[in-house]
Amino acid sequence: MSDPLHTQLCEKLGIEYPIVAFTHCKDVAVAVINAGGFAVLGEAMHAPDEIAADINWIRDRVNGKPFGIDLVLPASTPEEKTLEELMAMIPQEQRDYTDMILKKYDVPKPKEELEIASWGGLDQKRALDQLEVLFDEQVPVIASGLGSPAFMLKRAHQLGIQVWGLVGKPRQAIKQIEAGTDVIIAQGFDAAGHTGNIGTFSIVPQVVDAARGTGIPILAAGGVTTGRHLAAALALGADGVWTGSLWLASRESDVNLPMKEKLIESSATDTEYSDCISGYTMRTTRCPWHVEWASPEAPDVLKPPLQMLLSNEYITGANDYRRKDLMTEAAGQGIDYVTEMKPVRQILSDMVEQTLDVFDRFSDDDDD
Amino acid sequence: MYLIDFQMTMTTKASEGSSQAVSAGFNPQYAGKRAECDGGAHIAGTKYAGRQFFAGTLTGNYRDYGDYPWRWYLMTKLTQMPRGYVHETVWCDEGSLLLEDE
Repeated sequence: MSDPLHTQLCEKLGIEYPIVAFTHCKDVAVAVINAGGFAVLGEAMHAPDEIAADINWIRDRVNGKPFGIDLVLPASTPEEKTLEELMAMIPQEQRDYTDMILKKYDVPKPKEELEIASWGGLDQKRALDQLEVLFDEQVPVIASGLGSPAFMLKRAHQLGIQVWGLVGKPRQAIKQIEAGTDVIIAQGFDAAGHTGNIGTFSIVPQVVDAARGTGIPILAAGGVTTGRHLAAALALGADGVWTGSLWLASRESDVNLPMKEKLIESSATDTEYSDCISGYTMRTTRCPWHVEWASPEAPDVLKPPLQMLLSNEYITGANDYRRKDLMTEAAGQGIDYVTEMKPVRQILSDMVEQTLDVFDRFSDDDDD
Repeated sequence: MYLIDFQMTMTTKASEGSSQAVSAGFNPQYAGKRAECDGGAHIAGTKYAGRQFFAGTLTGNYRDYGDYPWRWYLMTKLTQMPRGYVHETVWCDEGSLLLEDE
């Protein structure tokens, strides 16, 4: 059997293993790249000058190997409102309920007074400013974690930049394939953070089928934390995997220690797919905030960004004081298999070894 | 993780310093078309994003951002929208739109 791990993704990127780490931590990204995988650094929350600095920081440490930067491109926006207008839209019932939660769980006040006097939102202009940095720096890969990257494809390709798109529905994949996106990430419901409603095992083959004959590699995302998942993804026709939760508790990760412990202790049933934190549905580890907003006595969850304005004091206070009992983090349903705090290189080599074991098992069966 | 105070300040600065042009226009071919929008956005103040789904009617009005350009259409008469959505309209990225007869 030829090397089952040497897929067209490896050819396209010049990497050893078809394992892509999505991370917000530069140290994790560099460690994955230098161990033979590929990494995409999430930079949606950063200003253009910070993004440029991070790109150069990575470049200095990966010896010319490729890497990617992920941005979140808005795909829909309501009419803009000022922070004052937004705050005035929060009903007293939800304010009172939030105060009850803060008191009931003795949530500490954030260390610094929240500066919420200059709400700007993340609008199209800001996303374009972030993109300009990626074009100026000619990063090897731009990944769009949400929103269609179709509008930027021509310019990116002129600069020799690959553009990747993450989708939660087959029809989104079809549009992106038609537009000329270079790699599609098919993300299932099992994933951390924002997801579609289709499970990983269902969406991946559908997107693979949609891309058949185009030469566009497909990555499987959502719940991927072991070599068995990688082997299954390859069996479904994917060219590799997009992983996130797998790296959160790694030695190199900048997630704080209590949260790493909580992640290691968590199982799939400890994650919640809920809109109570931000008003958007997303998968995160359960905390008292989830429990209270799921109560029959709870008022309606507010739309974005109002719910985020409500949850902010709880979230920030919990993080500032490392209150493990209160903290939450985006985590996928594969979190069961994140069981110890290992170095990135070991996580990657364990995954490769497990995958090869699976293929060896099938190969052995063929020989019988 | 949740840097809402920093993020809000930084966001405004980034937009103020933007050199990206915005122009508006009208596409009669889209006016009155029923469409769906696989929308969503970054969640301000966090590292997270959220998906949102809308269905409604396009007015044909659009805005172009930047030089590429990045085109956005105005959707009104919303028949499907996220729970708690209080606005009557939404702007949708053209690449995230699906016209009903497509």
